[in-house]
Amino acid sequence: MEAQLKNDLVNVFKSKLSSQMLLNLDTCSRCGLCTEACHAYASIPLVKYAPAYRAEVVRRIYKRSFTAQGKFAPVMGEAKEITDAALMELKEAAFSCTGCRRCMVYCPFGIDTQQIMSIAKLLLVAAQAEPETLSMLADMSVSKGENIDAFKEGFLSGIKRLEDQMIQTWRDEAGEDPIPTDVVGADLLYVALAGAHSIIPSARIFNAAGEKWSLSFFEAVNFGAFVGDPTKTKLILDRIVNEAKRLRVKEVCICECGTAVRVAKQLKGAPFKVVSLTEVHARYIRQGRIRLKKLPGSYTYHDPCQIARNGGVYDEPRYILSHLVNDFREMSPDPKYNWCCGGGGGLVAMGDETLDFRMQSAKVKADQVRGSGADVVVTACENCHTQLSDLNKHYGLGKEVRFLSSLVADALLPEPQEARG
Amino acid sequence: MATLYYLILVPMVYLAVAVFVLGTIWRIGRLLAAPSAPPPPPIYPLRKPAWLFAVGDALLLPTVLRHNFRLWLALALFHLGLLALLLGHLELIAEFKILQVVPHGIFLGHGFVGLAVILCLIYFLCRRMVSPTKELSVPEDYLLLVLFLFTALFGAQMDWARTWYDYSSMGVDEYRAYLSSLIALKPNIEGVTSAGHSFMLVGHIFFANLLIMAFPFTKLMHAIFTFAMNKFRRG
Repeated sequence: MEAQLKNDLVNVFKSKLSSQMLLNLDTCSRCGLCTEACHAYASIPLVKYAPAYRAEVVRRIYKRSFTAQGKFAPVMGEAKEITDAALMELKEAAFSCTGCRRCMVYCPFGIDTQQIMSIAKLLLVAAQAEPETLSMLADMSVSKGENIDAFKEGFLSGIKRLEDQMIQTWRDEAGEDPIPTDVVGADLLYVALAGAHSIIPSARIFNAAGEKWSLSFFEAVNFGAFVGDPTKTKLILDRIVNEAKRLRVKEVCICECGTAVRVAKQLKGAPFKVVSLTEVHARYIRQGRIRLKKLPGSYTYHDPCQIARNGGVYDEPRYILSHLVNDFREMSPDPKYNWCCGGGGGLVAMGDETLDFRMQSAKVKADQVRGSGADVVVTACENCHTQLSDLNKHYGLGKEVRFLSSLVADALLPEPQEARG
Repeated sequence: MATLYYLILVPMVYLAVAVFVLGTIWRIGRLLAAPSAPPPPPIYPLRKPAWLFAVGDALLLPTVLRHNFRLWLALALFHLGLLALLLGHLELIAEFKILQVVPHGIFLGHGFVGLAVILCLIYFLCRRMVSPTKELSVPEDYLLLVLFLFTALFGAQMDWARTWYDYSSMGVDEYRAYLSSLIALKPNIEGVTSAGHSFMLVGHIFFANLLIMAFPFTKLMHAIFTFAMNKFRRG
């Protein structure tokens, strides 16, 4: 590795050393309690998958460049220079971690491995060694934000096709404008994913609830966060923020995408509230704005880590399910300890490239799903849905994997005529 | 030998205290001077008041209790033992009435506290020799445990060593005279270097000095950082 690059990488590392990051790096006692918290280690018991080991890969570089111990007695902490080999280790550490933060629940200090992995990802970006797929996807999202006019026409014609589908299926709820876009003064801006599955069921529910809403021109998923590039993360998020400000909405509702919910909820000082789709649906039920029929079969719910453990949305999906099904079975006695699906942190977005690892590292999740005994696995995150579907196929679980929003849409009861006016 | 004893019992003690104080201040100052970043989300569900639960997490180690009872027991015994020993050392400097709520000699526990600490340290060392903790460990982890172990061994066995001389040489009065002289910056090591088992005291202080000096530059800082870390987790 060239000296200049090494120097640049040390400076990039330094840019991440906030007080909280220093605490994360300086506090670990390597007690190893976190090892059993990680689904990857629990499924593939190799120490390189232990959260503390992943963090050590970053910490060793930190010690060498930024601590007295690392400078004067590097052997004590196995401090290391940044080298090409170290970059390879960083890549394996960062992209075998889904950022679920289950290890944080076990750690006696609450060390945030995901935060430490954000250093690894940033160093990879700076060294242009990040996964190309994620980088390309992030660039495309940024480019869409910069050239929205070029994308608008194609987007609107796609929406028109979806509207036709909606009118054919749900003539009553569809109304005159089944999927409104660009509505200035809308109460709610819905940020979906690219794909009918993320738009049609939600549109049906918004319309049934009488919501004054508008569909965002942009997709919710933030590939910048997956790749670990804070500049791109912000640019991708800014597209939505600017649209929400332009439309003067009161609320931005993020679709079933864990990372998008987490990134958007971290916004500070925005003139609108950020909510997840699940929270909005629970609110509609609570307010009597939608009514649901009970669905047959037994159901279990997979808490998406970014929405539940890292977002606090535990009760809402269970509240919705209590209105949807009679036979609900928890996967874990305490949802805080639910296993990660193994697909987060950009692993699902990397597609087949990570498939083998995703299947092997999430064996404990497959066992947990099987152990629930339910027929249907419900979740509220695109990544989790894809990963659970892959696990279902790989391990022959014989389950049906459903989005919570699509269940709600399927169970909608027609509004009484008198209420419709 | 007398010079070596003097170097360990006087200049090295002052050096250790200076390194500990300045090093700890530097570490905390470095943290405070670092830029603050928007905090990442806490772990949900939240419980209020967060600071109180964070203090509980730091002192009672509930996550360890839940996931590894044996480790929790050893950690609890070790840390409580350390606390009792630290209080005992304070009583070697002067008498504190408040510490005599439970009437006792200089150290609580009739030597069992030191023994418990030693057993815990042996357990921690053994644990570090077994996978996966073995692979996670770095030399610092072993070194600190060994320093603790030697400090505890030499310290805890001092009373036993006195039995070699029918308790007639080097007791509490001598320890007090030595420590008080250090605090008064008029070091006097006469009473603690003439006994046959003085080497036990010198060994104890030597390893304690090393440990104290290592504190600010090693993971031992978790003793301070744990409160802030747990507060971040609690939100």
